Amino acid sequence: MSKAEIKSNKMLNATMGLKNIMGRHFLAIEQAYRDGKPTAWATSGSPVEILYAMDVQPMLPENSATVSAAQKYSQNFIEMAEEEGYSYDLCSYFKTNVGAVKSEADMIKGGTRKPTFMLSTDVICDTHVNWFQVQAERFNVPHFTIDVPHVVSNTNQRQYNYFKKYVVEQLYEFLDFIQEVTGHEYDEERARQITQNSWDLSMVWQDIYELRKVVPCPISTRDTFGGLFPLFTMPGLKEPIRLYKKMYKEAKARVDNGIGALEQENFRLMFEGIPFWYNLKYFGTLERWGAIIVYEPYTYAFSKYMNPNVTKEMVLNQPIEAMAELMLSFWYIYDFETRVKKFEETVRDWKIDGVLLHNNMSCRPNSCGLYDLKRKLMDEADIPCLIIDADMNDPRKLNETQVTNQIESFIEILRQRKKK
Amino acid sequence: MKKIGIFDSGVETPEEIILAAGLIPYRLFGDPTIEPDKANEHIPPTHCVWTRNLLEKAIKGLDEDIIGIIGTHGCDRTNREFDIWLECLNFDFMFFLNSPRKRDESALKFFIDDMKELITQLEDHFNVKITTEKLRESIKKMNNIRSLLKEISEFRKKMILKGSEFHALVKLAQQQDKDEVVKILESKLEEFKTRNPFLDTNIKKVILTGSDIDDTEFIKYLEELGFHIIIDDLGVGTKYFWDLIDENEEPIVALAKYHLNKPIHSTKFPSYERFEVIKKLAEIYEVDGIINIAQKFCEPILYDHPYMNKMFKNLEIPYLFVEVTYNRESYKQLSTRFSAFAEII
Ligand code: SF4
Ligand code: SF4
Repeated sequence: MSKAEIKSNKMLNATMGLKNIMGRHFLAIEQAYRDGKPTAWATSGSPVEILYAMDVQPMLPENSATVSAAQKYSQNFIEMAEEEGYSYDLCSYFKTNVGAVKSEADMIKGGTRKPTFMLSTDVICDTHVNWFQVQAERFNVPHFTIDVPHVVSNTNQRQYNYFKKYVVEQLYEFLDFIQEVTGHEYDEERARQITQNSWDLSMVWQDIYELRKVVPCPISTRDTFGGLFPLFTMPGLKEPIRLYKKMYKEAKARVDNGIGALEQENFRLMFEGIPFWYNLKYFGTLERWGAIIVYEPYTYAFSKYMNPNVTKEMVLNQPIEAMAELMLSFWYIYDFETRVKKFEETVRDWKIDGVLLHNNMSCRPNSCGLYDLKRKLMDEADIPCLIIDADMNDPRKLNETQVTNQIESFIEILRQRKKK
Repeated sequence: MKKIGIFDSGVETPEEIILAAGLIPYRLFGDPTIEPDKANEHIPPTHCVWTRNLLEKAIKGLDEDIIGIIGTHGCDRTNREFDIWLECLNFDFMFFLNSPRKRDESALKFFIDDMKELITQLEDHFNVKITTEKLRESIKKMNNIRSLLKEISEFRKKMILKGSEFHALVKLAQQQDKDEVVKILESKLEEFKTRNPFLDTNIKKVILTGSDIDDTEFIKYLEELGFHIIIDDLGVGTKYFWDLIDENEEPIVALAKYHLNKPIHSTKFPSYERFEVIKKLAEIYEVDGIINIAQKFCEPILYDHPYMNKMFKNLEIPYLFVEVTYNRESYKQLSTRFSAFAEII
């Protein structure tokens, strides 16, 4: 790659290919309906790999909800759900989905079709289970939920072991459930192939993240917020691996040439929480201060293979056990102590100047603990933090002017610290 | 005697195990006359009003006899906030019990494992032995309390006992020494047997459901507006005593089965089955209507409400859904809605 080619300092060229990849995902869904192949809704954090391994086409309504938001339809859908009696205070992904289904929206507007069955888990939130209960009743389709015990700061190894046993048992029950509903059998060889791809996909994503440690950071949220979707929707397929590899190569070339995503990188930030999908441009405004987000636990979390006890061998040879272990131990559900520790490590390793914490009104599981997290990071580790109140899919809950003023003052604090 | 505080969005904690350890199970309730100022420094104000209130009380200091806390898996609030309790409170014994969301065979096995872990940790920490015999004794004791409460509850149907008076008794049963509880309930039972019914013909008989309600004043407030809570579907209510534990089975297994088979709370799966529970009670007790109360920001109830609304509409049973802020002053603002409902039923 010539220096001229790599000088683009905004989105990576490779990220442009994301549209095609996601297009393929939606085409695969259409094709599945045409072929009469079974389909399933799945919540994030659930083992989508099992669906691919059993030849069931997954659909992730959360992903679709972000599409609605990006296309500026989410508010309308949310209000439709509220008319049905769903509270203003409930998760806006859920309400977006209720409105999208009710209005029979196209996939490009974030619509989702009636699946053969639904798979939820409470690993991340109650909402996932309640949401699919609502929609499974509406569509009259079977719904399987995986109950994941909650790991807290003082959970011991003994407990962890029987937590895992419970999840493993349910995953095997889930295989039986799929077989019963679809007639498809679990094929170990196919499962191995799928988990191999899922592993590879995550590893490239993690490699991309490694590059973000470099100053200046080669890629910004323009690449990661959208780039995350294949991890949700296509873990187990080959195409997204190729895309991620291209992203990596391009980012690496930037690193090798000392080029950052910003022309002038002044402040390196971390962003905790889900972005405002209806206003992704907002994150571009950080550039006016030379600030760049170099780490988002949210986009990193779904490259799930982070638990050192889950080795590649385990993933390939005992995929069910590996999945169970991962469901108990990934970024998005860390107990408070681990969460603080991970934040401190990340701030150090990614050379972060300040942390933005999104107090997401939709996502109580994620916003729970933010206040203490902020206090710990600031008081014990001297890391500046700012809490922003907003919502990931409901534009009514973002007060842009207020948030901008807060960030501006925050940047000023970071500036003063740098002068010292 | 020393107590173990229970932080539970329902009544999913096996009190028998605590009793068998020689301790008093003490379910934590809120105080709707205080503001959660300190708790708001830890939990955003758009999260459940009730758990924030509980945390407020806990930060300010609990009864000094309380020497440990058990948090029990219920909704996202109890689950996620337990770590905050660990941060804010200074108890040597704090245990999170993962009462399962599902109610099948694997859930049963898991719950048994988790209860065994609770036993191990109680034994190690308090240097006690929780024997099968002690567990059997405490199951018997609790079954006795359940039977007494169930019998007393029927005086609500006979229009002898007001819902608020009954509510206060169930609360008491969840906090006091169980031997004391038995004595109080036995004497109350005798008293109710001789008490005359109240003769208000205009009274509206309702079933109360929703988030758990621990403020007896709220029940009194509903009574002042013309309702009689003839039956309920609450943790501070029927969910605490409706079924009995099998006394012949191995105690831990019996305890686990009891909790997985009792009338479902909205925090468990599938929560829509709660509709069947309410419907059945509504039929048996020939209620005039259903009042479903959600504590402000209570997600489990907020998710289920439109389904309940639809189903009760189909059955042509009047149904009222109200969100309540856990604050006595704010109840008054709801009077118009409750009164309008009383008028139509
Ligand atoms: S935004 Fe939060 S509450 Fe909503 S579905 Fe996602 S994890 Fe659950
Ligand atoms: S009131 Fe609702 S949100 Fe609050 S603890 Fe109870 S079930 Fe959970």
